[in-house]
Amino acid sequence: MAETVKNKNTKVKRNTFNVDEELEDQLSVKDLKRVLDYVKPYRRQLLLALVVILIANFAALISPVLVQQAIDYAIPNADVGYLLILAAIFFVAVVVGGLCANYRIKNIAKIGQNALRDMRLDLFTHLQKLSFDFFDSRPHGKILIRVVNYINTLSDLLSNGLINLISDLFSLVIALGMMVFMDVRFTVFSLLFVPVLMFIALFIKNMQRKNFQTLSNKQSNMNAYIHESISGIRTSQSFVREKENTDVFDEVQTEYRSAWLRAIGAMFLMQPAVQNVQVLATALIYFLGAQAMGYEVSIGTVLAFIGLLGSFWGPIVNIGNFYNSLVTGSAYLERIFETMDETPGVMDAAGAKEMPPILGNIVFDQVRFGYEEKEILKGLTFDVESGEAIALVGPTGAGKSTIINLISRFYNINAGTIFIDGEDISQVTLHSLRSQMGVMLQDTFIFSGTIMDNIRYGKLDATEEEIIAAAKSVQAHDFISKMKDGYQTEINERGSNLSAGQRQLLSFARTLLADPKILILDEATASIDTKTEALLQTALDRLLEGRTSFIIAHRLSTIKNASRIFYINQGVLQEAGSHDELMDVEDGYYRKLYESQFARA
Amino acid sequence: MVVISWLWKNYVRPFRMKMFGAMFLVVITSILAIIGPLIIGEIVDRVFYNGELDALLPLLILMIVLVFARMTITWCFRMIFETFSQDATCQLRRDMYVKLHEMDFDYFSAHKVGDIMAKMTGDVETVRHFIAWVVYSLFENFMWLSLSLVVLFSIDALLTFTLILVVPIIGFFATRLVKEVRPTFADIRESFSTLNSVVAENIGGNRVVKAFARENHEVEKFQKQNLDFRAKNLTSAGVWAKYLPVLDSLSGTLGVVVILVGGLFVINDRISIGELAVFNGFLWMLAVPMRMFGWLLNDLQRCQASLEKIKEMLEVKPKIPLSNVDVNEDVAVKGFVEFKNVSFHFEDDDSIAVLKNVSFKTQPGETVGILGETGSGKSTLVSLISRFYDAVEGEVLVDGKNVKDWNARQLRDCISTVMQDVFLFSDTTAANIAFANTNADMGRIKHVAQLADAHNFIEALSDGYDTIVGERGTGLSGGQKQRLSLARALLKDPSILILDDTTSAVDMETEYKIQQDLQKVGVDKTTFIIAHRVSSVKDADLILVLNKGEIVERGNHESLMAEGGYYATVYNEQIGLGGGE
Repeated sequence: MAETVKNKNTKVKRNTFNVDEELEDQLSVKDLKRVLDYVKPYRRQLLLALVVILIANFAALISPVLVQQAIDYAIPNADVGYLLILAAIFFVAVVVGGLCANYRIKNIAKIGQNALRDMRLDLFTHLQKLSFDFFDSRPHGKILIRVVNYINTLSDLLSNGLINLISDLFSLVIALGMMVFMDVRFTVFSLLFVPVLMFIALFIKNMQRKNFQTLSNKQSNMNAYIHESISGIRTSQSFVREKENTDVFDEVQTEYRSAWLRAIGAMFLMQPAVQNVQVLATALIYFLGAQAMGYEVSIGTVLAFIGLLGSFWGPIVNIGNFYNSLVTGSAYLERIFETMDETPGVMDAAGAKEMPPILGNIVFDQVRFGYEEKEILKGLTFDVESGEAIALVGPTGAGKSTIINLISRFYNINAGTIFIDGEDISQVTLHSLRSQMGVMLQDTFIFSGTIMDNIRYGKLDATEEEIIAAAKSVQAHDFISKMKDGYQTEINERGSNLSAGQRQLLSFARTLLADPKILILDEATASIDTKTEALLQTALDRLLEGRTSFIIAHRLSTIKNASRIFYINQGVLQEAGSHDELMDVEDGYYRKLYESQFARA
Repeated sequence: MVVISWLWKNYVRPFRMKMFGAMFLVVITSILAIIGPLIIGEIVDRVFYNGELDALLPLLILMIVLVFARMTITWCFRMIFETFSQDATCQLRRDMYVKLHEMDFDYFSAHKVGDIMAKMTGDVETVRHFIAWVVYSLFENFMWLSLSLVVLFSIDALLTFTLILVVPIIGFFATRLVKEVRPTFADIRESFSTLNSVVAENIGGNRVVKAFARENHEVEKFQKQNLDFRAKNLTSAGVWAKYLPVLDSLSGTLGVVVILVGGLFVINDRISIGELAVFNGFLWMLAVPMRMFGWLLNDLQRCQASLEKIKEMLEVKPKIPLSNVDVNEDVAVKGFVEFKNVSFHFEDDDSIAVLKNVSFKTQPGETVGILGETGSGKSTLVSLISRFYDAVEGEVLVDGKNVKDWNARQLRDCISTVMQDVFLFSDTTAANIAFANTNADMGRIKHVAQLADAHNFIEALSDGYDTIVGERGTGLSGGQKQRLSLARALLKDPSILILDDTTSAVDMETEYKIQQDLQKVGVDKTTFIIAHRVSSVKDADLILVLNKGEIVERGNHESLMAEGGYYATVYNEQIGLGGGE
């Protein structure tokens, strides 16, 4: 598999709260199609709603005709009967309009909410596929805002906006048709103003588009800063940093505020533009109407035509507004799509197969890993038998954590191959690989929810007995049963109501419950006291049987118990062997490390 | 309405001049908007019916100028509304931000990050929308309503009166709507907040999710909340669908009344046909406010729901006020720390005594080592010194004065804590170290980094001291994070230094180096060291062994070894293993 082209990892510069994120792809027409795809599944409902809206629009369009009839015929002729009929039709139209509105509100909300739900799910699902780099390279607040806030802003655009657009287009066509029917000449003159308006709208759009992009960046920055401030509040409080933090926050807010005002200022130009053009167009018709009145057209026709002008310009105003919100929304849409299009750094290879049940043989063959400017592993090679417990030692930054991250394929390697039971791990599915591994990371992350649920994360269908057994085997049962509600005790976000040692025990139980064939412990017991650890060790020895394990630890007891110790330095394996073997090596690295570290105690 | 007046008093009132100015402009535009139809009436009557063609051009020009003026003024007042609503909400958000720093630790245990985020973003945005848009719309619609009534009355009182008959009916349905829609907004808000929390937690725990390959489980968890959020929105829309059409239709019937009753009036010569046209032209001014009424009530309800949450947060009274006492500039903390029969349990769980009857005393410059099993109360003990919690019984004294009598800011300023959960900010390494003093020079930063044995690894990072650390310090190893946070704590040159399991992820050689450095700088500092390794605490002047919140052993290394208790066992275990077989 040496010929497989491995990608070169390039380290992206991390983004912080005070730096705008670069936009990789501007929104284009094909993205609009993509938005429509979210509405597409509901096109039947949309169509139905549209029919209803057209009925409503028709009902609304009747009123000027009724008014014209009344003013031209019924009233001058004192025809009360006809007037009554007109009023009755008018009333029916109003009621029909109301009924339609009821249907419309209900269904449009449904279409919009469904589309948002789908989009949110897609974005979230894609987020799960993204690798560590994505989450590590930007403040989490900036990711959060995309999934929740940005998508919410689209709610109106996708539901009301879209359907209004269609219905407005229809109204426009109907109004136009009636205008042509009444007077062709007037209609032509009215239409003259449309290109003028489009030209102005385009000008406003360019300004607005840029301003809203800036705004979404500033908004994202502000969110990131708030998010990080809340997460790190304990640190800020203990350093009495409120003044400095507030100064920074003021700055972030001020930038947001001015971006907002610039954006909204441009947006507010649209309405005046449309209205000014409209009044010019109307004035022209009055003028022409007055010239032609009497010998060419009736007063009633002129007045009715002017009434229709309202029905003509109304939809145009609305379409302008839709365009406006589309321009606004695209600043958010492009961010959403950007995230959806983010290629995961690590993903299943084409035709990846399922990893068969793991036995535990692990081979690193000339593995190279690192970033352009700094290579961490430089051709690392080793072979671990099934069932072995390997302790990784070596100076800080030697690449110990990197090695174990590579076994779970959290990162892609640059060259070489990693085999598990003879399978190249880059050719099996991530899910089948990772679900057979138990990894305890340096930072224990505990979810909010009950203790029971947290341990169950390791095996979703575990019974209570299994969970308690797992807790017992890692010495966590004692402290859990002493808690207020035992296993049902609610844990705060990130386990803030547990001590660091307790969190490690919980995460230990969670990992063991998964019954992994390969167990990886990265500083897994650093915060656990010696007494508990000694008990844990006995349990662990039993549990490690039959599993391949990798352990990074600073505690000698843990290291000494390993079947073999790997001394990693400068990206390669410098020594390997059992404690006793390595201690016999004169001037050996491990022996020196041992002497410098443990002899002192 | 209580919250609205609260909003007004605290956040909008300071900008009332701007607001009234903008409202004045609204009045002008409303008047201009009324003149428009009047001009049309003129045109119809004079030009079309009386044939005064000469009057046409001036009237048309007037009409155009009016619209232009109205639009220009509209843009201006909307921007004024936007400006001061931004000012008001920036202040509101700022107050919330400052408030965060005054909250007790308990608050953050009870409220998720996503939940607080929702308040500071979504809810504040709702309030902004209210100030910027609803306030102006309410006023504008009110203006239109009253102006149109004036004009309509002047044309024909009876016809106008017939129209107003609809108003109480609209009022009736509108109140019903408000009552029903209000709880749905509270539900949407709650659901939004939970959704926020679910996503925030997933992003924060992305490593664990991948390690367990639990992506599908996470998606299920998310989808549950996603569906709930959708359902809550639809329930709300259902209420709308019920009432809004009624309100719409009622305002629509105004048109019917005008042509029927107005038509009869013309037939009976009560009014002219031109007047009827004017009347008809003004109808929207009456109908639109009536239609808008429902929407505005909607926004008002939404704003109230959000404001209640915001107000609730701002009105939380921290149990530990930050400025209870004036800062006494002359008295710097020297570092005498004394615990007198201190007992403690967390508020939400009084069944477990976290600390029981703890008493001890230290002199400035002394080192106290604390050992004990996981969950024995070590971290809680030291957090009482900085007064992150208050002792339930007994007293914690610093320099002989109860910590409750210290100004909490001043007290904390003299204490540096390296917490067990290291939190680093997504900023450069240098800025992280200089957290306590943003003005610290590079020399000082490097100096403390060297003391914490962090200098070498920082230099080795891609951009050295300018390397940006990921949120919470991702990209650094546990030991590196601990050393960075130690450097951060040392920069402040505190009188009391608290190290909560600070070197647990550091190898023993590095730990030894750090200890040597700390001894040098620590001569005048009272130092508390919590550790599991005996090597970290064995040189301490006083070693406390905690068990289930009680001090079970105390003394120095020699005396504790002689005692042969927990300490001696642990020591032997660690040294015994260290000495080979």
